[in-house]
Amino acid sequence: MQKSSDTSDGITLRDHVYDGIEEYDQKLPNWWLFTLYITMVWFVIAWVAYYQLPVNAPTDYEKLHKEIAQIELKKQAELEKMLASLNDDSLLEMSKDPNHTSAGQAIYESKCAACHGVDLTATLGGVNLPGVPLNDSEWIYGGNPLQIMYTVTHGSPDITKGMIAWQAQLSPSEIAQVTSYILSKQTAPPEPALKPRTEI
Amino acid sequence: MSSDNPTGRKITIEFDDKTTRWFMLASIGWGVVAMLVGVIAAFQLNFWQMNGKFFEWITFGYFQTEGIEFLTFGRLRPLHTNAAIFAFVGNMMFAGIYYSTQRLCKTRMFSDLLSKIHFWGWQLIIVGAAITLPAGLTRGKEYAELIWPINLAVVVIWVVFAANFFLTLKIRREKSLYVALWFYIATIITVAMLYIVNHLQIPTSLTHSYPVFAGVQDALVQWWYGHNAVAFFLTTPILGIMYYYLPKAAGRPVYSYRLSIVHFWSLVFIYIWAGPHHLLNTALPKWLQVLGMFFSLMLWAPSWGGMLNGLLTLRGAWDKLRTDPVIKFFVAGVTFYGMSTFEGPLLSIRSVNSLAHYTDWIVGHVHSGTLGWNGFMAAGMFYWLAPRLWGRELWSKNLANFHFWIGLVGILLYVASMWFAGVIQGLMLNETDPSGTRLVNEFVQTVDKINGLMLIRAIGGTFYLAGFILLVINIWKTVKSGIPVNETREVFDDPEMKKDKMTWSAAFRNDPIAFTFWGLFFGIIWFFLPPGASHMALLCTLAFAALAVYRFKKDKMDWAKWYDDLSENYLPFSVLVLIAVAIGGGIQIIPTITVNRAVNVEDRLQKVYTPLELAGRDIYVSEGCYNCHSQMIRTLVPDVLRYGDYSRLGESIYDHPFQWGSKRTGPDLAREGGKRGNSWHYLHMLNPRSVSPQSRMPNYPWLFEKKTDFKALPGKIAVQQRMGVPFPIMTPEEIEQHAREQALEIAQSLVDEQVKIPLKEGQEGPATASAARDHLAGKEVVALIAYLQKLGQFEEIAPKETPDPVKPRVIKPAIPDENRMTPENVPEIPSVTESEESDAPVAQAN
Repeated sequence: MQKSSDTSDGITLRDHVYDGIEEYDQKLPNWWLFTLYITMVWFVIAWVAYYQLPVNAPTDYEKLHKEIAQIELKKQAELEKMLASLNDDSLLEMSKDPNHTSAGQAIYESKCAACHGVDLTATLGGVNLPGVPLNDSEWIYGGNPLQIMYTVTHGSPDITKGMIAWQAQLSPSEIAQVTSYILSKQTAPPEPALKPRTEI
Repeated sequence: MSSDNPTGRKITIEFDDKTTRWFMLASIGWGVVAMLVGVIAAFQLNFWQMNGKFFEWITFGYFQTEGIEFLTFGRLRPLHTNAAIFAFVGNMMFAGIYYSTQRLCKTRMFSDLLSKIHFWGWQLIIVGAAITLPAGLTRGKEYAELIWPINLAVVVIWVVFAANFFLTLKIRREKSLYVALWFYIATIITVAMLYIVNHLQIPTSLTHSYPVFAGVQDALVQWWYGHNAVAFFLTTPILGIMYYYLPKAAGRPVYSYRLSIVHFWSLVFIYIWAGPHHLLNTALPKWLQVLGMFFSLMLWAPSWGGMLNGLLTLRGAWDKLRTDPVIKFFVAGVTFYGMSTFEGPLLSIRSVNSLAHYTDWIVGHVHSGTLGWNGFMAAGMFYWLAPRLWGRELWSKNLANFHFWIGLVGILLYVASMWFAGVIQGLMLNETDPSGTRLVNEFVQTVDKINGLMLIRAIGGTFYLAGFILLVINIWKTVKSGIPVNETREVFDDPEMKKDKMTWSAAFRNDPIAFTFWGLFFGIIWFFLPPGASHMALLCTLAFAALAVYRFKKDKMDWAKWYDDLSENYLPFSVLVLIAVAIGGGIQIIPTITVNRAVNVEDRLQKVYTPLELAGRDIYVSEGCYNCHSQMIRTLVPDVLRYGDYSRLGESIYDHPFQWGSKRTGPDLAREGGKRGNSWHYLHMLNPRSVSPQSRMPNYPWLFEKKTDFKALPGKIAVQQRMGVPFPIMTPEEIEQHAREQALEIAQSLVDEQVKIPLKEGQEGPATASAARDHLAGKEVVALIAYLQKLGQFEEIAPKETPDPVKPRVIKPAIPDENRMTPENVPEIPSVTESEESDAPVAQAN
């Protein structure tokens, strides 16, 4: 054991000197020791509580599944409520209401314009964008108001060759508003769909 | 001076200060490079044009480009991190170690030749890194990006360094090892261990390899390495340097020897366990997440022990803070160490982490460590060393003071802006509409919101770089007008000195080791035993702890003497360090490698890539996409709402290397496959802003010119098969043909949608649709699209049959998640009524 000498104020100064560096041997600060001990005790308690006591704490997966299921239920109810009040006529009605179409336009410009163009021509400065034009009265999946709404909601049947489903990002009422905006921009009646789909 | 009676012959030795000078100058030079690349990368996040397009402007249109592949963020960011860690801090650490070790051992380094090989070898490695990383040659794992031939060189040079260091310890003329040397020992041993395990790989060519671990295993090993690179490359060597240079500069004794002991051993033991806190709320098994979080919390005090010993050593020397730039840098550096080691445990709490992870908060946290702790400790050390190495006063103290202030302002701008950016983006990402069913903000909007803050970060970084350039000028002027000095010193050479005489038995067979061993033994089996047996194990641990306290109170002097003896014996000391750092990794990694394998996957299993998709994946890795895009949907509601169902462990089980990512500057891609059309991806890679106007992603025009390397695929697939990925058996010709056919299919879909083929000036496009298809099919972009469309594809695995409940009653260790006790899973109490009907699958001790 190395010898140590006590300095006048009662603090131990160790005798050994390394390249001129001396070392005191002060007591460990209590608050520091308590921090160390508390974190250790907390770990033991948490581990035992989660793993080794018969408490029924849900796992992360259980918690998540429950929350997501609730959200899905809510969404489903929302959709059903919306659909009950919608038909081709009411959507056409909406497309004449500037309150709806202006809300729809805002959504269109933030989500849809990147592929279908701000002016619905699916071009930007003469360059083709990935989407199809929405102002040419040609509808791949049907041009009735409800058909358009269905396509926005679910996307194209093969998503790798067409549009994504928007239901994850837009609520049914928002989709209805976008639909009303698109309808408001139509000048000619729609031509028969190439691959018509009707059901929602 | 020492009260040890000097014995032996008096001789004069000359220290090798030349090596220190070289390492110091190398560190300063690479430091400028590392920080400059960092500043460029920071501006790239604000201005996508910084990824190459700006060359058009600075050459007044002479040089036409949409983007330069060698300069994209995905390739520069690894260059920045590797340069900052291994070139700047690495060389600084070597300078500090070479200077102090010789003096603490009272001897010249063991071998000048080894010192030379170490220096030049390390610089060559750095040059190799600076060439390969921008070229897109990468392993795709953070801070472990360098390709396998460079990995081998690193191992060789590290062994040279270790040999030189340990042989210097062996020939030392100082009986016992000073605390700085403990930290150096821990650094050398642990970095070697981490580096080798995380770089186990099988080459497929001279510049490419696949790591042997995949998916969750690779994630765990990577962050065991990544986190402890911070611990044992950026922290322990710098603590050692603090213990030497700070008391020297302050002229005061170190505050507390016993604090050194306690915080050293607790730090090296606990640090290793904390790696999984980089993977909280992911598909990593829960027990590892729990260990990662709580060991991070336990790490708080050991880290602060270092800060306390540093700051309290200055008691009685605070007046120097006003005048001496060295002390200024040291005080600020140690304070930043304290701040980031408080922030670290905070960020490791799972709920805090759920907000902060993948955001700029983490970037800010890291930089308060690297800029504040590493950078300022380096500056302080260089300003202290320069006069001693070149035999004249520092050229300008005022300039050094100015460096301090401009650097400090830079750090504060950096850290504060990143903190706000992280919290703001995190909150925006989680924001839902009033119904709570839909997220409000698009990902790109959340990034746009923090544009200003990111700009402040870039400016803060520029300030810091400016300060560092002042250091360059100051040191340069000092060097120019000084003369290199190698210190000579008279020492007593006593071959009979009582050192390294401890027997292994004396080192290991004693109370402190015995109590630690048994306490840890029961503590560790406590994790893995089923309830009942585990409770017993915990009681044993607590009993040993209580007994240890009792014996320590009684035999305090014996314990202290054992430790003093140990510190006079470098080999047993080093072996104990190795054991202390090996435990944590072993406990976490070995069960994961045995249990979390594809054969054991339940729920969902990743679909094996087709040859073309594998080629696309290698392009994804090579372009460094993981620097901005994660592939891990966490078990959090906002993540699931934004990206889809949470990622299962099995869904990346074949991924060599894993690409879970650690930062989302762009959205997560785990379920990107099938979400958008091929043409969308095509346009997006050509110019992201054509489909996402606010995007800051670089353009990737070279993917439309470079050809997919179909010929390399058979070799790559053979390696993956060897590592257990169940690729279907195909001949090399079949592999190539399969890849080409899939490429044609995708190219056809692009041609059908009439995508534009980018052409150079004067170049003629393909005349017919089939020529266009054939042209596109060979290009890298098609392979990349194939990969992106595959992301998130899995097959359902039927749940495994529950094992027969009639099982021999033995204590069956298992990973904690399988042993977890729930009301349905209570260990049976041996009673007549219950034992009949209980079907608890877990055997228990009784």
